[in-house]
Amino acid sequence: MYDHLDELEAQSIYIFREAYRKFENLAMLYSIGKDSTTMIHLARKAFFGKIPFPLVHIDTTYKYPEMIEYRDRMAREWGADLIVGRNEEAIKEGMSPEAGRLVCCGKLKTDGLTKVIEENEFHGLFLGIRRDEEGSRAKERVFSPRDKNFEWAYKDQPPELWDQFNTNFEAGTHIRVHPILHWTELNIWEYIQREGIEICPLYFAKEGKRFRSLGCMPCTKPINSDAATVQEIIDELKVINTPERAGRAQDQENAYAMQKLRAKGYM
Amino acid sequence: MKQDETLKIVIVGHVDHGKSTLIGRLFYDTGSIPETRYQEIAATCRAQGREFEYAYLMDALEEERDQNITIDTASTFFKTEKRPYVIIDAPGHKQFLKNMITGASSADAAILLVDGVEGVREQTKRHAYVLSLLGIRQVVVTINKLDMVGYDQKVFRSVENDIRAFLHSVDIVPSYVIPISARDGENMATRHGGTPWYTGPTVLEALDTFENVRADSNLPLRLPVQDVYKWDGKRIYAGRVETGSVAKGDEVIFLPSGKITRVKSVEKWQCPDLPSARAGECIGITTEDELFVERGEIIAHRANAPVRTRELRASIFWLADQPFKAGKTYTLKLATSEVQATVLAIEERLDSSSLEVTERFAVELLPTEVGNVLLSLKGDIAADVFSENIRVGRFVVEDGTMIGGGGIIRSFADNSGESAQRINLSDQFIAGDEGNLIDLTGKRGSIDFDVTVSFLDTLVKGNRILFKLRDPSQIEPVALMAYEHHLNFTFSRAKDQVNLILFKDDIVRTVDEVHGL
Repeated sequence: MYDHLDELEAQSIYIFREAYRKFENLAMLYSIGKDSTTMIHLARKAFFGKIPFPLVHIDTTYKYPEMIEYRDRMAREWGADLIVGRNEEAIKEGMSPEAGRLVCCGKLKTDGLTKVIEENEFHGLFLGIRRDEEGSRAKERVFSPRDKNFEWAYKDQPPELWDQFNTNFEAGTHIRVHPILHWTELNIWEYIQREGIEICPLYFAKEGKRFRSLGCMPCTKPINSDAATVQEIIDELKVINTPERAGRAQDQENAYAMQKLRAKGYM
Repeated sequence: MKQDETLKIVIVGHVDHGKSTLIGRLFYDTGSIPETRYQEIAATCRAQGREFEYAYLMDALEEERDQNITIDTASTFFKTEKRPYVIIDAPGHKQFLKNMITGASSADAAILLVDGVEGVREQTKRHAYVLSLLGIRQVVVTINKLDMVGYDQKVFRSVENDIRAFLHSVDIVPSYVIPISARDGENMATRHGGTPWYTGPTVLEALDTFENVRADSNLPLRLPVQDVYKWDGKRIYAGRVETGSVAKGDEVIFLPSGKITRVKSVEKWQCPDLPSARAGECIGITTEDELFVERGEIIAHRANAPVRTRELRASIFWLADQPFKAGKTYTLKLATSEVQATVLAIEERLDSSSLEVTERFAVELLPTEVGNVLLSLKGDIAADVFSENIRVGRFVVEDGTMIGGGGIIRSFADNSGESAQRINLSDQFIAGDEGNLIDLTGKRGSIDFDVTVSFLDTLVKGNRILFKLRDPSQIEPVALMAYEHHLNFTFSRAKDQVNLILFKDDIVRTVDEVHGL
């Protein structure tokens, strides 16, 4: 029986294999969340159990301790090569959301990421973003080129027909590959359930609260929920009528916050 | 049908014919807009001094909202009681055709929207033709804004006739033509009584009858090699089964190389001893023989293999800013193969909104134009015509570093294309009282031989084999095969028949001797 999860999975595997074949030096951005954890599971399916590229986590130092513990334990279990990137300079200077959430995200995440990419000379990056998360992500291509300054030309994106992706780029172009762009939040949880993927414990309700989307402590709030198992989360998502990222403060700074962040290289 | 089978629908039509309102209405009527999202949009609209703008659900970019246009395609999600949907919004402006096609290329079905007051316009036709070129066959036409003409049945019928006539010319038979008012919600999710003369389904009911277009398991096997992994002592050919199915033990041919072997195993992570895989699945296979096969080859069963070709006729739709030029060489990407392709001729240049041939043997195609072209490839590829297999009958053309357009294969221009049949000489061999015979008179198009050891043995023992040929064009492949295997041959003509005799001998016999066979 071939169902919608099989179809989503096959599409993701196809994207992984295309990118791996076409680009020399790739890495996968690992945010510790449900999406990037699912993405890793899909990569292992694509490459018969291997993860043939390093994982990169951009640590803002504002992450929940449960996230870091989970990250290190899982990386060991997968046998993955984990690179932790930090914008040490900005951290030393005491960068925090008090400087403005968009400034903070730009410094600690975007600049931190840029540094890791430059130091390791990565030609491209796998990212676990999805079209149903937010408006500017809904406009993304699967293979999304960025210029030398990691800027996204969202007003003039190349065509992407069927499963033919743009894979030849001018020197200096950086490529973002989005293997789960076509999944929804509900699909992700259904797949986690089916495949038995271990997920960061913060997603499961404790004392009436759980996280629906994981980020930095100052900017991420849990939602009211009693969903303590994957099945309960699935049941909850089927009736919930709030956006997934409602608990993420940086999105609410400005109507086009995410577009502005992403045009400059944010994930 | 399962409840959770998502259907992807693209919404196309001329600019300002009401796409955004229609999408907003689908969301509203199905209760799919999150409350906070609704409030966020309402606040943005208030700040701009506008009424609530449904378009903002899709037009999330600041530039789109400021200029009130859709620049790029976007996907959003809604649910009916029957199943979830992905809506792919497609920009209506001509300059964003590449974005419209990007969105539409992944759709299962389409809503083609026509303004009932304005009628069929340039982009209505262009978009309809694009749907046809992309192979989208499930189309519902909605004739919108009928509230503005008092739901006049005559207005509806007149626009319906126009659009049906045009769709007929591009081989699309619409599943439904529905009179609607997206603004009032008439015939969207429910009937409000404005069109008592209409007895067909609402838009949502129509959509619920469509099917998710899956890779087809009933077609012949097409498994393009995506990559070759040499891991854990195995050589795995990784790929997605585009059509058909493949099983352990199957005899398969790799094309265009022509290598033949058997499937030793079908590989998937955590699935040992997998017996088979079907269309849509990403798998790997290992083979009994160690082959040196590259990405781009297509794995098929020998009885119904794809065509090996170097010259093809195609319809191309051009999207890049710079023109597509006759005489120029581009990279053609079909499934996982890539080959240099020279444009021998742009045989017909079409106006994509009227489908009229505007020029024969044109020098170039401009962006958003469509042409029927003849391409010559630098190397062989394996392919099918689009009408027989959508997934390996379509390709993209790379111009410089970016995809510049797409195309579908109409026919194969070289003889190789018409069948490129592989003939197993042992299977065809008939040994009888009147001698040994291979009959090729029933084989059309170009042919290729699988030479087997038992066949060669027959010749080594001094036997001669008569080849009955369809026409003189078959002499060349037999001669080539004879040359490659150090065999001799001679041929003769008897009335309309061409006969050829193959033998292993250093003595050249005369034609008369051969007649005494």
